Parts: sequence; C-alpha cells; structure tokens
Amino acid sequence: MLARIAHELYWLGRNLARAEFTARAVEAVFQAELQGTSETTPGISFGSGGLLAMFGDVNEDPTRPRNGQALGQLTLDAERPGSMLASIERAREGARTVRDVISAEMWEAINTTALGLRGGGQPGWAAPAGPSLASQYVKERTALIWGVANRSMLRDEAKCFLDAGGLIEISDMVLRMLRVALPAGDATPADGHALILLQAVGGFHAYLRAVTAPPNARPVARFLLFERAYPDSVAACVDSLHEVFTTADAGPRNSKPVLRVSRLAADLDFQRRALPDGAELTGICEQTQQELARIDQDVTERYFAGAATAGMRR
Amino acid sequence: MVSSGVKTPQVDDYRPQAPFLDELFELDGTPRPTARALVEELRRLGPEGLIEAGRRRDAIFMQQGITFETSGGGGPTHERPFPLDLVPRVLSGQEWRDIKRGLAQRIRALNHFVDDVYHAREIVREGLVPWRLVASCPQFARAVHGIRPPGGVYTHVAGCDLVRHSDGTWKVIEDNVRIPSGISYVLENRAAMARLVPELFASYRVRPVDHYPQLLLSALRSVAPSAESEATVVVWTPGPANPAYFEHAFLARQMGVELVEASDLVVRDDVLYMRTTRGLERAHAVYRRLDDDFVDPLEFRSDSLLGVPGLVRAYRAGSVAIANAFGTGVADDKAIYCFVPDMIRFYLGEEPILENVKTYLLSDPEVLEHVLERLDQLVVKPTGESGGRGVMIGPHADEVEIQKMRRVISTHPERWIAQDVVRLSTVPTVGPDAVLQPRHVDLRPFAVFGERIDIVPGGLTRVALEEGSLIVNSSRGGGSKDTWVLEDGDDADRAGPPIADTQPPALPDLRYGEWTGQQQQQQQQQTQRGRGSAG
Repeated sequence: MLARIAHELYWLGRNLARAEFTARAVEAVFQAELQGTSETTPGISFGSGGLLAMFGDVNEDPTRPRNGQALGQLTLDAERPGSMLASIERAREGARTVRDVISAEMWEAINTTALGLRGGGQPGWAAPAGPSLASQYVKERTALIWGVANRSMLRDEAKCFLDAGGLIEISDMVLRMLRVALPAGDATPADGHALILLQAVGGFHAYLRAVTAPPNARPVARFLLFERAYPDSVAACVDSLHEVFTTADAGPRNSKPVLRVSRLAADLDFQRRALPDGAELTGICEQTQQELARIDQDVTERYFAGAATAGMRR
Repeated sequence: MVSSGVKTPQVDDYRPQAPFLDELFELDGTPRPTARALVEELRRLGPEGLIEAGRRRDAIFMQQGITFETSGGGGPTHERPFPLDLVPRVLSGQEWRDIKRGLAQRIRALNHFVDDVYHAREIVREGLVPWRLVASCPQFARAVHGIRPPGGVYTHVAGCDLVRHSDGTWKVIEDNVRIPSGISYVLENRAAMARLVPELFASYRVRPVDHYPQLLLSALRSVAPSAESEATVVVWTPGPANPAYFEHAFLARQMGVELVEASDLVVRDDVLYMRTTRGLERAHAVYRRLDDDFVDPLEFRSDSLLGVPGLVRAYRAGSVAIANAFGTGVADDKAIYCFVPDMIRFYLGEEPILENVKTYLLSDPEVLEHVLERLDQLVVKPTGESGGRGVMIGPHADEVEIQKMRRVISTHPERWIAQDVVRLSTVPTVGPDAVLQPRHVDLRPFAVFGERIDIVPGGLTRVALEEGSLIVNSSRGGGSKDTWVLEDGDDADRAGPPIADTQPPALPDLRYGEWTGQQQQQQQQQTQRGRGSAG
C-alpha cells in the first residue's frame, strides 16, 4: 500500500489510542483529587501534576491552577496538543486523508466523534461538572470506532498499521505513567496504594481478576508491564505489535522493526521470569520506552520513508 | 446571613426546625463554620444546577443499574434510581475521631460478648446479663457452642447505627453484627457525587472511602485457615432475588473474588470446596450474606434450600473461616443492646465513649407498667426484627394504634423494647423544585475487624425523605446522602500530602515534543534525509 496511507493510518491509531488513554486518566485523576488521602494506606501520588508531567509539561510555578483547570487543559483545550479534543481532531484530520481506505462507516464514526466533542462551537459544553461527561463520551466513542474497525476492516496492511499505531501509543503511555508515578529512588513510598494507576488505564477489574495481591505499587507495575492476558499491558502490546508487523511486512525475516520488536518481547518475557516480585521496575520501564522509541524510528524508516517527500523511497 | 453572592431562595431561606439540631446550619440560618464553603457552592449551583444534576444522577443510576425496587401498595414492583440526595453531610475530623474510637471500643466489647456467650459465660455468672435473655434470643445458636474461630474474631463486619441528639451528642441506636448492608451505597454515592457535583468538593479535603473492599479482603485473608498458599475468599449470596444482591455482586467484583451460591459449594470430609470448571477447589474464607437460619440444613433450619449441608461441621473443624461467625446475632439483639455499656466496662475496663439511647426492657413488670402509661411518648420496637419493621413511634401514632400496641405488648412483653424518642439531627435535603428542607438523618459507619479494627471514614447516612418522618430505612421510603469526613490540619492518621499538591520530579528524557505528532516527525525525516543526500 502507499507509504503515505500507511503513515496516516499509523497516526490515526496513535491519536485514537491517546484520546482514549487521556479520557480515562483525566477522569480517574479528577475523581481521586477531589477527595483527600486515605487514612490507612499511604498511596503513591499520581495527580494532575503527574498527568501533565507525562505529557512533558512540568509546571514549576507554585501558584498552579487548581485541579479542575489543570485537567481542563487535557480535556477540551484545542490549543494543548495533549488534550482529548486535540487528539480527536488530529484523528479526524488523518481519517479525512484516508477516507478511501477506511469504510464510510468508520469515517462517520470518527467524524461524529470530533463534531460531538466540539459541541457545536459551545466551549465547555461537556464540562458543567468537571471532565466526566467529555471523558465518558470519548471512551464510548473510541470503543465504538475500534469496534467498527474490528468488525468491518479487512485484515490487511491497512488494519495492521492502524493497530500498530494504537498499540505503540498505549504501551508508551503506560510506560510514561509508570515512570512518572514511580520514580527511582526514595522519592515515593516504596510500595504504596496504587489503585489510581489501574483506574487511569481502566484496568482495575482485570487486575483484581488476575492478581491476588492488593493493588500496591509493585504488583500493579508488574501487572501493567508483564501481564500478557491484559490487552493494555506493555508485554501484551509488544506481542501484538510483533504480530501485526509480521503480517504487514513484505520480508519479516530481515526487517529491522520486526526483529527489534521480537527482541523486546523476548526481553520482557525474560525479565518477568527473572525479576523477583518486589524488584524495582523503573529501569526496565525506561529501557523499554527507549526501545519503543527506536522501534517507532525503525517503523518510520522502513515503511513510511516515502511518505514525507515523494520520490525519495529507499 | 452571608452577604456576598446573589440571593437565591434555596440556601438563604433555609431554616432549621427547632428543637432539632441541624448539622449544616445554626438555628438562625447561618451556615456552621465547616459548612460555609459548601453552602457558598450550593448557592452558586442554584436551583437549576441542582435540578440538572438530579436529572443526570437518575440517568446514571438507571444506566448502572443502581436501583431500588418499590411496590406501590401491593401493586407491581417498579424500579427507581437509588435515592441519593445531592447535599452531602459534613463531619469534622475531630468528630469522626471520637466516633471511630467509640465504635472500635463497642465492637471489641460485642466481639468479647459473643466469645463469652459460647464459652465461659462469665458475664452471666457475674450477674450482669441474665442468661434467660441470652438463651431466649432467636439468634442464639447452640450449634456453635465452644467453637472459637481464628484470631478470636466473630464480628468481622459490623455496622452500628448512630444518631445525633439535639444536644450534639452521638448515640448508638442499634448494633448490626450479623450482615449489615449498605456499604456499596457508600462507595457508589461518593463516585456519583464526584461525577455530578464536583464543585461542592472544591474547598474540602474529603477522606476517600473506596479502599473498603481491600480492607475487607485483607481482613478475610487474615482470618482464613490457609497454611501454604494465598487464601481463597468467596462472597456467598442467597441469589439474584435477594434485595441486597447488588451489594453482594459489587463486593465480589471489587475484591476480585467469586460470588457463590449454595449450589456452588460442597463440603467433603469437613472441608469446604467450590465447584469449578477444573474440579473442586478449596474455599478458605466465606463472607456470607445470608442469615444463620439458612446456612446449613443439618444444624439450623432443616427446610433451607439455600444452605450447604455440613458447613457448620467444616467450620467447627476449623477448615474454613466464616464472616461473620455463626451465632453473632446474639450480640445485636435489641434486648441485649441495653447491656452493651456494661459489656464495655466488664470486658475492657473502660467507660463507654458512645452512649446508648435510654431503653426499657419490658420483661420487668414495674418497667412495663411505667412504659404502658407513656406509650405515646416512646418508641417501641420488636426485639427480633430488623429494617424498621414493626416499629411504632409514639408521638406519631394515633390512639387506635397505641391501644393495639398496648394489648400486643401486654401479651408478650419480652418480645418488645421501648426507647426514648431521639431527636434526630437534620441535614438540608433537596426537595421538589430544588427547595432545601430539613430532614432527619442517621449514620451507619462500617467497621472491618481482622487483625485490627478499621472503620471507613463516614458511612451510610440515611435520610427520611418525608417531612417530620423519623424512619430512614430505605425499604420504607428513606434516601441516602454522601457522608464527608474532613481532613483537618493536625490529623495524626493522615498518610501523606494531598495528591493534588504533589509535584512529580521531571524526567529528563520525557519530552512530549518528540511524540507530538506526525508533522514533527516528518520534518525530522526531511532533515535526516536532507543530511543523508548531502553526505
């Protein structure tokens, strides 16, 4: 398929996944910050400051805006590249350029989402009471979009690149979150209550079914990194990435991104077995994230090389 | 009156009803110090805001299936959204600490009492509690005599009903150490409030409640007899037809454990198993949500179809922990209630922190006579019932009802108790057209007893939605409120700084810019390629 199209689909997947992640995380953090801290269990601290830091935006100003405003930047502020609205708008722009590849139904689903989120030009329509309404809307709509894609798209290269974008975005977001919430060293309690991290990715229920330990920082980080049965864990995403690249690549045996992904998958599997339960995972998060950045680079070079400027394909 | 802000009728016209104590407002209509910011936010929200939030609340509760079945006087039952009132109740950190200490003390004493009743019966020998009362209690379970569960804990989950008198003191009106319900509403109410009216939280730090399922799970694990592996905990429900089924499913889901029914359980050689797709698997701890009467047809009611034959034997053999233990009902009997202050002095050697409501045991002929004369000023309750059934409130009853009650009590005085009428405190409650009106409330905090006693901040505030009514039971038209326990500055239990105030350290290599979007990546590629072609 055209490199340009593949590139657009890849970024469509990324933008959709980011909008969804942001919606869940904003809602979880908003709810947690409304309330005080727990009496009995000191929790790890992941709040709006942490969420903004994930997007590379650390506010050093001591007179920071309160919770609502900080999260508002991630909800319907079109100027902030990290906001749900901006992600959805980018997704819509991307979908517009690949309207011939995706089905009419899929385009419509994406377009409606963007139009709905804009709220007919009335800023703040979805925020009479915090970000809940907008978050809920984005969660429902992205679920619908992925549902339409999974039910109606041919399992070809196009679907592979769409999925690949979503997968790499989710794993990157999870890794960012873990690194911000659980920095190395003594900055946070070694093993505090980490319910918020699960709520931020919508994995609370899955965690409870899969793990018997209480949702403290270490087991939660392990779960989000290594649990293959949980689709948004880093390991599961990397496995699926391997699958989609193998399908999409013309020569997977000597393809750089495929090899890199398969090495990362094996490495994660090894770490899962080798590391004792209480081990610190900060280092692995960092390495994995850097490796994903390299994969992203490889993907760009191998598949999208012709996308930017015509006639310069390798 | 507060001068700032636009006047809207709902907050400024609110008048508490003397002689009742209103928890948010002074008698003259000025907000109490802890409520000032809340009242300000309510004023800003205005009647339209409240009506709109109420609409969204009903929609959310219907969607999530948090509903309540009511029957319109014998007609078909119909579902309505759980009645959560949007004005929260606010308790200061200091008030809460006293309540918490008082409850922990009381629950410890009740637990001692259960242990004593089924073992040495020292309190009876001391002459403090008449044996006749204990033995005649319908919940007294001979089948569990002499059994001591792990850790000596019987009352793993307890919910005492508290009321606030017009002089501001908190009193215990009832103990619940069998299967107190309502905790799921505490958690759902908080989640709903945070979604619907986050503005109200703006100036407060409210203690979270959502760790309850984890507290319960670790308490259950701590008492489970499991040597080698992690204990398997299950929640046992009578089935989907039970009115509290929502709560059973909620707790099982929140704890990540199986929700079982009797047909899923089987006892082999005094060990409890559950039937799974991989054969029988052992269950070490059971949080049961059905009455003693039904749990084991071999030991309790033989006609029970909801029970597991042999369960009591397994329990006796110590192979399974049951929460709450069988036979705990003896401690929350309404006749035994009068003796709880004595239990606290006897077992713990302490003075009770929380008082009882003045209660009359009618088995004493002199007391009976005295009570029969003033039936119109007292509340009478049947000892064996729960959920507000059979209660008569003297001042609200007419002459015919009182006459009828007089006859009933005279025939079986031992089945009834009488209590002074408590002047339940009020909290402003949203009425029709978003008008705030004073309504009576009580409070049921939930305690979990495992290795120690943990009490979730606040609890279920039930509110009588009808004007002047003192009956708060949800089965009889009561609603509920979110209960806020505030963090105060010098709080020793506080675990850490508020989440919103913590600033994470910046990570050097996390720069969102690299990932911002494809444009940048494309630019980067172009530069790289430019370099490549130049070299």
